[in-house]
Amino acid sequence: MIDPAIADHEYAGQPRRNEDTKGPDGPAFVSSFLRGDSLAGLQEKTQGIIGRSVPRHDAYQAVAGALQYTEDLRFPGMLHCRILRARYPHALILRVDTSRALDVPGVAAVITSRDVPHNRLGPMQQQHVLADERVRYLGDPVAAVAAETPETALEAAHLIEVEYRELPAVFDPEEALKPGAPILHGASNLFQRQNVRHGNVEKGFVESDLIVEESFRTPFLEHAAIEPQVALALPSGDGVIVYSPSSKPFSIQREVARALAIRQNRVRVIGTASGGGFGGKNEPILEPTLAILALKTGRPVRGLFTREEEFVASTVRHPFIMNYRSGVSRSGRILARHIRLIADTGAYPAMDSKTGGKTALVKGAMMAAGPYRIDNVLVEAIAVYTNQPVASNMRGPGVPQVCFACESHTETIARRLGMDSLEFRLLNAYQEGDVTPFGDTLFSVGLKQTMRQAAAAFGWAKEAGR
Amino acid sequence: MKKRGRGVGVMWYPTHPVGSNPSSAFAKINSDGSMVVMAGAKDVGQGSTTVLAQVAAACLGVPLDWVSMVTGDTGLTPYDGGSTGSRVTYIASRAVELAVAQAKKPLLLVASEHLGVPVEDLESGDGRIWVRSDPSRSIGIPAVAAECYSKKATVPVGAASYAAPGLTPPDPETGQGRSYPSYIYATHMAEVEVDTETGEVEVLRFVAAHDSGTIINPLLAKGQIRGGVSMGIGMALTEQILFQEGRPLNPNFMDYVIPTAMDVPDIEVILCDTPDPTSAFGVKAVGEASVVPTAPAIINAIYDAVGVRIYDLPATPEKILHALKTALASSEQQAASGK
Repeated sequence: MIDPAIADHEYAGQPRRNEDTKGPDGPAFVSSFLRGDSLAGLQEKTQGIIGRSVPRHDAYQAVAGALQYTEDLRFPGMLHCRILRARYPHALILRVDTSRALDVPGVAAVITSRDVPHNRLGPMQQQHVLADERVRYLGDPVAAVAAETPETALEAAHLIEVEYRELPAVFDPEEALKPGAPILHGASNLFQRQNVRHGNVEKGFVESDLIVEESFRTPFLEHAAIEPQVALALPSGDGVIVYSPSSKPFSIQREVARALAIRQNRVRVIGTASGGGFGGKNEPILEPTLAILALKTGRPVRGLFTREEEFVASTVRHPFIMNYRSGVSRSGRILARHIRLIADTGAYPAMDSKTGGKTALVKGAMMAAGPYRIDNVLVEAIAVYTNQPVASNMRGPGVPQVCFACESHTETIARRLGMDSLEFRLLNAYQEGDVTPFGDTLFSVGLKQTMRQAAAAFGWAKEAGR
Repeated sequence: MKKRGRGVGVMWYPTHPVGSNPSSAFAKINSDGSMVVMAGAKDVGQGSTTVLAQVAAACLGVPLDWVSMVTGDTGLTPYDGGSTGSRVTYIASRAVELAVAQAKKPLLLVASEHLGVPVEDLESGDGRIWVRSDPSRSIGIPAVAAECYSKKATVPVGAASYAAPGLTPPDPETGQGRSYPSYIYATHMAEVEVDTETGEVEVLRFVAAHDSGTIINPLLAKGQIRGGVSMGIGMALTEQILFQEGRPLNPNFMDYVIPTAMDVPDIEVILCDTPDPTSAFGVKAVGEASVVPTAPAIINAIYDAVGVRIYDLPATPEKILHALKTALASSEQQAASGK
């Protein structure tokens, strides 16, 4: 078996400060096409290829119904996989008996955690391919069946006997932080923290003429791609080929190789046409299980989630609980902003490798104060485990949540000041050279341009101040 | 009674996810001047394969249909961090640009010999390479490509890897560091109609203005933005998974309501290109940001229409009616105590 650490190079991406990766900042780094070119010049220089509205390469196939999605693939002898999931949101697994399922005619294989060579997934190695000792939410996979038809596989999955000892569960992140709450991982349900500190908020509030405080919440959301989780694995030579619509084929390759304890060259992931991802197809939710079944049976195995499974067992958007407190001057300058965020990360860390599962928390915290020049900012953000589905990346992880709160709050402040919504935003908006609360100096800032052009198209000024 | 209101939401968003996140690409120019580019970046419907082909064609200087793409296959293409974090156009375009530049080098050398000027004085486009100061002196790319294979016995190939340089993760206590290479910005404006008797909200009009840097393909950029706004309308008004003891109560599209074409108004998209000096052609990002400011624009428009603020999404008819009732009760109470 390969040491999982060997396959781990990418996780080294708690990226270290490495001078070697620091690129030149000066003009040499500026795209040769861009140097001194206007946009019109750029288009002329590229014969209009840049900036041309070319239809998507597969658009005609897609609308003609000729595009092959993963679900359309057929291989001789192909089996169908169904997964048995947890009966309780939090429980210890005492015993799994697959004998009755194996007796069902048409069943080719039934696997449990014991059949998985390396039963840990993701950067934190906290998720499993199939649960071994404990389940932490209702989507947790416990066993998988490969059978001649999906119906047979489902029937057999229902015949797998699992003995549990139910544990107390917690479904609310604030409850999960209280003493005595059931703990999901380690010593506390506090998964991660990300703060942003800039200036001195207390001083800013003292100098403010008006202080506004509001709280906001957002719910769990589904990516709701029309195509659910789907993949197909087939044995090939001394390895496996996986067809997957995943947004991250190389991450799927790495996770499948690691789960099978084989080298990555023996796993080929072929990206198939995607029926919608939005971040919901970033994680190896299905592929390792299918690869194990394919190698065990020597036959192609396809897995396809039902819509219900998609809600129960695929990733979701983090719900956020958000408190915003802002101080402003009478003239409309935002002087201080203190933000507290609680993100419900569900039963496990997201499997995004670059931040160890906290992308939504980091992005949410960093973007929380909005695109405004504010000298004093404090953001205190935490992500908390609960016995809910795994929250992971979904189109702008963490940011639509904080933008909802920030922009609702900004509107309240503008109204309390008696200022036009747009005028108040323009007064505080980022422009070229401004420095963010986390120390970035901004360039190419088209923010005010978007406000003015939107206002012109919308006719904002016409009825302003009604 | 039906009341109308207007709302605005603005946003900023990084062009790249946190952490180093490389893309890579191979390019090979055939002996007739056409080209195959193998890029790890997986098209997930956003159209990245088309955009990368446009970048490759522009870099080599050939018509778009001379370029074919192979993407997202771990057996054929080099590594890519994936279609996540709105990163593909920003990062993978540069990898493609660099790979094509490398493959193009032997062609430029051949052209330089024929035209008698140094490589630096050559420009290319539309399938030809010409002398910058005298475009009438030129040679066809198919001819120089053929000569690379025959007389020079050199196969024009390129391979490149690119990651945004100098990124460091944020300090967990202060957020300081260099988490993101650059940012995009957008303003959304919505006009809604609220039925004060049923609490129902209809989005009547929507304008989305985005600064996403140089736009490689306006059709695809606008498509992504309209899709994002549609998703944002769902987030604002209807979408939520309801749970009871960890069990979803509405795990289907009858009860988890995503917007249909009936719920989405005509969305006017404005692209305010502010080129980014750190990327190929000045591109930034489009994908995720398009959903970001939609919900607050709608929620603020509801406030403008009927004077109630919804603090927890989605703004269902029940919540709006409840808020209206509460607002009415408190204003009556104020009026009563005022007497």
